[in-house]
Amino acid sequence: MKPKSHNLLADGTSISDLIDIEMREVKLRTLSDQQLYDLEQQRIFGKTWLMLGHESEIPNEGDFVQRFMGEDSVIVSRHKGEIYVSLNVCPHRGMKITTHDAGNAKVHKCIYHGWAFRPNGQFLASPVADQCMHGTIRDKEDLGLQQARVTLYGGLIFATWNIDGPSFDEFLGDAKWYYDMLFCRSDKGMEVAGPPQRFIIRANWKAAGEQSAADGFHTLTLHRWLGEVGNYKKGEEEGEGGDLTPEMFGAEVSSPHGHALRCIDLGRKIRRLTGKNPDELSTEEKLKVLPPPGMNPEMVEQLKKNLSPEQLQVMAWMPPQVGGMFPNVLFGFVYIPQADGSVVGSMTLHTYVPKGPDKLEFTNWIFVEKDTPPELREKMVMQTIQLFGTSGMVEQDDSDTWPHMTLTAKGAQGRHSTLKYQAIYETDKPDGWPGPGIVNEGFTKDDTQWHWWLYWYELMTAEQ
Amino acid sequence: MTSSENVNFFDQCSSPVGIGSELYNLVLGFYYSEAQLLDNLRFKEWGDTLAEDLKYSVPLRQTRLVKEQESSVIHSMRHMYDDYRSIMGRVMRLSGESAWAEDPASRVRRFVSNVQVYATTKPDELCVVSYLLITRNRFDDDHFDLIPCERRDLLRVSGDSFKLANREVILDQVLLGTPNLAIFL
Repeated sequence: MKPKSHNLLADGTSISDLIDIEMREVKLRTLSDQQLYDLEQQRIFGKTWLMLGHESEIPNEGDFVQRFMGEDSVIVSRHKGEIYVSLNVCPHRGMKITTHDAGNAKVHKCIYHGWAFRPNGQFLASPVADQCMHGTIRDKEDLGLQQARVTLYGGLIFATWNIDGPSFDEFLGDAKWYYDMLFCRSDKGMEVAGPPQRFIIRANWKAAGEQSAADGFHTLTLHRWLGEVGNYKKGEEEGEGGDLTPEMFGAEVSSPHGHALRCIDLGRKIRRLTGKNPDELSTEEKLKVLPPPGMNPEMVEQLKKNLSPEQLQVMAWMPPQVGGMFPNVLFGFVYIPQADGSVVGSMTLHTYVPKGPDKLEFTNWIFVEKDTPPELREKMVMQTIQLFGTSGMVEQDDSDTWPHMTLTAKGAQGRHSTLKYQAIYETDKPDGWPGPGIVNEGFTKDDTQWHWWLYWYELMTAEQ
Repeated sequence: MTSSENVNFFDQCSSPVGIGSELYNLVLGFYYSEAQLLDNLRFKEWGDTLAEDLKYSVPLRQTRLVKEQESSVIHSMRHMYDDYRSIMGRVMRLSGESAWAEDPASRVRRFVSNVQVYATTKPDELCVVSYLLITRNRFDDDHFDLIPCERRDLLRVSGDSFKLANREVILDQVLLGTPNLAIFL
């Protein structure tokens, strides 16, 4: 069958030639190609829900932040209690309405010719309207800032240009059951520690994106230092020092929409903290010994109010700790062992914003629960900055790796090389697993990342 | 959180130490030596110049209106937020086998200038403002990552030299153009 013309690249290659479904391989060309990048801006970043921040960043009327949906700058603002996401392009002559990262404005006035807009994007007036400045051809209602469709989830702000597309809940699908355990587990909800870190990596956004879909294997080598000199160093009876393989067991959740969660077994940590076999402890006992990141034992009561008994069971057993949300979100809600044997959690979310086929912006928010006690909050923020993001001792190794993949993808030979996802689960859900979705037990595999690519493929080849 | 610490750095600065004075030259020598140690990957020796109550932080920057200039330096979130223990943890990682972000190491030069030294109310402590321009080159890059910044330090007299007791680094970029801060500023 002849490939559909909208799937053909200029050199005659079809997008469907870039993925070998049977072999579970993806052509490396995908990590550097300008044409694919341009199509992604429409077919992925123009279609899916994108994370832009958290409502705690803009608590007051008129508060706003500037963010990016693909390469489009948007104003995220609060107006009469609602959150609005407006394209940051003046409908008059295309100037940015705001050039600030954040602020508070009852009226956004373009500095070029003075057209003015409400925080919800509505056109208010042009400065010399009596001299016909904005004309009579278009109604005033027609001169507002282009509006994205917005939803809030656990206070996180998501938006899409796909005005009539799937709802956010449909987009999350079965994965929502697990994300609820992270973002909706406390009474008052999460809040940001502050604005996000932002830095540039000279790499294609998918090098980071596919890894965020729960690449467990890379931890063993790229982040090997954790076992060599970090706090993951083992006790004498627990295997070789640099060996991180015991940390790789758990269950992995794949999604037909490319979302991914690695649910990592807490058994070893609970055994260390209590000296007891975790099977002999109740769900509540386990949660109090090792509360989720951002919580102390007293806050465990909140979990019982906000989550189902089945979710609590998973939370105390194999909670989601790292993973992503398609296309460009990574979450790390991790339990970090401390030198003194205790555990301090980290809560972090990243977006990998595309800035051209060879460049991405790494945006990193650090979270705490609104109820997190001040002392724990301070520890969490410090630890998270030290391990993740700009100077994070874990993620600085990732940011140095992705650019090389983007470069190898340019070679005349290299571009035909393939990314391989052939470590396949044959296990299914753990015994007694109460959660929905595509779940497999055991040592980490490639299934979650492969599903990420399948959804990329589905969106890139969908009827336009 | 302790977000306001060091905001009043300039309030701690009392009389300026004369440029070219013996004390000024000692301070300048400290910074030249520090740059040399770091540029040459002598991290453990650099660690010996740090006070054990060290606070080391790199706040975020934001683009804000002139009238909101104070909001252009963000303390609630930072690019680095360390104490002595965690800095020594970073040194230990860099001295290990698998710190890939800096192995192979970047070729880095730290150009220190505009050094201004001030006495404080404590006889053994000095406040020092310095400009730092870092050039960083990795692998075959035909460009340099430039990291210009201002450092606001508290130095404590120790023997015939100093120990670094507090450092706050004010970066000039909102969106950092270097892929990580795996190097010390």
